[in-house]
Amino acid sequence: MESMGLELESGSVMAIAIVAILYVAVITAFGGYFARFNSNINDFFYSGNRFSWWLPAASMVATGIGSYSYLKYSEQGYNTGMSSTMTYLNDWFLAPFFFFGWLPIIYFARIKSVPEYFERRFNSAARYISLTIILAYMFFYIGYNLYTIGIAMEGMFKVPQLYSVPILAAFLGAYVTFGGQTAVIFTDLFQGIMLYIAGGIAIFAGIYALGGFDEWWSFLPVSHRLPFVHLNADPKFSSAGLFWGEALAGSIAFTFMNQGFLMRYLTIKSVNEGRKAAFFNVMVTLPVSAIIVGAIGWIGKSLVMKQAVVGGALAGYDFVQIENTFHTFIIVCWATVKQNPWIFGFVVAALMAALMSTIDTLINACAAIGIYDLYKPLVKPEATDEHYLKAARWASIITTVIGTLLVIWFNTQKDSLMNIHYKGIMTIIPAIVTTIFMGAFWKRFNSYAACTSMVVGSLVTISTVWYPYVIAPVSWFFSGPEVGEFIYFRALFGMLVTAVIGFFVTMVTSGENDKDVTGLTIGTLDEAMISYKDGGVPNHALGQKAKNLVATIDENIPTHWIQLSPQAMETLAANDGDVIYISDSRWWLGGLRSHHVKATSNSKLANSEVAMSTKTFEEAYMLSGYSLIAEKII
Amino acid sequence: MDQKISQMKWWAAVPLVVAFAFFFPRLLINTLGADNPWTSYLYLYGFGTIYTGSGLLLALKSGACKLARPKDRFWFTMVIAGFCYFAALHGVWIYLALSIPYLGGQ
Repeated sequence: MESMGLELESGSVMAIAIVAILYVAVITAFGGYFARFNSNINDFFYSGNRFSWWLPAASMVATGIGSYSYLKYSEQGYNTGMSSTMTYLNDWFLAPFFFFGWLPIIYFARIKSVPEYFERRFNSAARYISLTIILAYMFFYIGYNLYTIGIAMEGMFKVPQLYSVPILAAFLGAYVTFGGQTAVIFTDLFQGIMLYIAGGIAIFAGIYALGGFDEWWSFLPVSHRLPFVHLNADPKFSSAGLFWGEALAGSIAFTFMNQGFLMRYLTIKSVNEGRKAAFFNVMVTLPVSAIIVGAIGWIGKSLVMKQAVVGGALAGYDFVQIENTFHTFIIVCWATVKQNPWIFGFVVAALMAALMSTIDTLINACAAIGIYDLYKPLVKPEATDEHYLKAARWASIITTVIGTLLVIWFNTQKDSLMNIHYKGIMTIIPAIVTTIFMGAFWKRFNSYAACTSMVVGSLVTISTVWYPYVIAPVSWFFSGPEVGEFIYFRALFGMLVTAVIGFFVTMVTSGENDKDVTGLTIGTLDEAMISYKDGGVPNHALGQKAKNLVATIDENIPTHWIQLSPQAMETLAANDGDVIYISDSRWWLGGLRSHHVKATSNSKLANSEVAMSTKTFEEAYMLSGYSLIAEKII
Repeated sequence: MDQKISQMKWWAAVPLVVAFAFFFPRLLINTLGADNPWTSYLYLYGFGTIYTGSGLLLALKSGACKLARPKDRFWFTMVIAGFCYFAALHGVWIYLALSIPYLGGQ
């Protein structure tokens, strides 16, 4: 492994190591604290579907930024400028499909994983085909993140991956194993703040070194200021390719298929709050993240151009020379913080935060699939919650070990990091994202078509790694690049092949019975809502929250039911039997102490009273002495 | 019968979309040039309009979005507003990138 061009003295290495190790230890302890909020596997994997939108949304900041993001996007930012933001700013097109289709489907049908959706929508064969593809996708990401941080550690500190990767994996595996999804969300929230602060410091130091924002912009070449690159010149990074590969295939994969993100949405208390989280994620989180991960590359380019104009290093700084652009982030940061090891240590800790926050989500997600799609249906269908909780923790450990072992395979790859990433993802995702899309939005699409299109679509897409020229006609049709590796157009090619196969197989085979897909397609959401309410009529009337409620215990009320005064019910615009969300009134808990219950009216109760059994009170993790808030869900 | 008519209308749009996919980028390249940032912009938001528009249409036709429901109406509006927000953001960005002088060449 080549050096990154940093000459670190032993004192500097020590200071950086102290900051980084301290950070990892604090996060592990913080995550472990949340083990107390897991009484069953629904808590462990989905946090009891109890959170307000802002908590999972804020935690998605860190989840969406991997350890490779800083390195990869800084390199892209240095090479092509602000067009490095393209992959982060083209997700909105998917919004109507997610807001009105996929999110309500998985929420109201109480889907736990995409493979489970495939079983209910199609059959067992579809479930296990999809499971194979999804696990390949997630293990790829876990291994890739560990591999990139291993490379960074090796390049900076000469620490062999043999030591750095297993140690890091052990730390983050520990808190995921005990803390589950709640630990993942709260540590990711903390790490997201850390990522933004560290990124902000690095950006501020860079802009300051350049002499201010105006200087940075003025010395940035026009080609590097633009939000887009050439339409089709570079097959590895073109506007046309990015649209089809990222805005279409990549966005569907991240939003519809990535079990980690899916589970994050399923921790949210309602569909409406899920939409708020998605809205915030695309409108705020992704644009800010695009700046945080790419800006050092833009600063590096401006810095190099200014050095050329002034004829040497900027006053007070070492001369910045970037020979290998993959190291842009490290080299520019080290120079602009004036080789301060403590500040640089903080930035290195941010790299680790990016790694930990992405992989913890994926480990928890893989473990969820392992339990819900393998262990429970195939190995032990009937067992206690304690047993499944124990199994879930073992699944987390096994996932961590497999991800760590995959680093060995990544080390055998000869390609650049960027190419390994996109080749892998754009080969794995096309068939399954198309099948999910057709399954959710086309009622007639059946199990024969789903299985055939996933298998054949995947095989055809994989074959293009050896026969890339078959993609050329598709790329030509959409005015994409006409030569090269067609990394992004491979995804479009795979999606088209899968869609065509799915369409024709559906046409020549009989359609599924309507009853089988009720609640699982976009056209049957009303039935899904009724099913969610156990047969009750959905109540869409707009109400207000009932605040400052005081809990009173009444053991005669069934578990998961509450009683409210008629006036409180009127405030909520709720009818008897409606699903109500009751929570601790401290907003900053984000719903950590809360529960979904059904409500009935009781005229004997005062307006500020809410009555429930001890079990309901305890299952909501509520504390005596704190007021409650109730709101109607449906 | 109504459903059949509805499906016929839906499939009738496919040839139009295919024709658009073929001719629209070529029109942009021939008039503006492939290296013009506005070409990439119009490519993204041209196809993006079909992408988002088909999603909204599907949500309305399937009954997943009922504009009579206040929350559905709100989110329907937000989807369109979000699309306009990103289109405006990228448009202003390109304008600023092209209009402010570059000093590195001095």
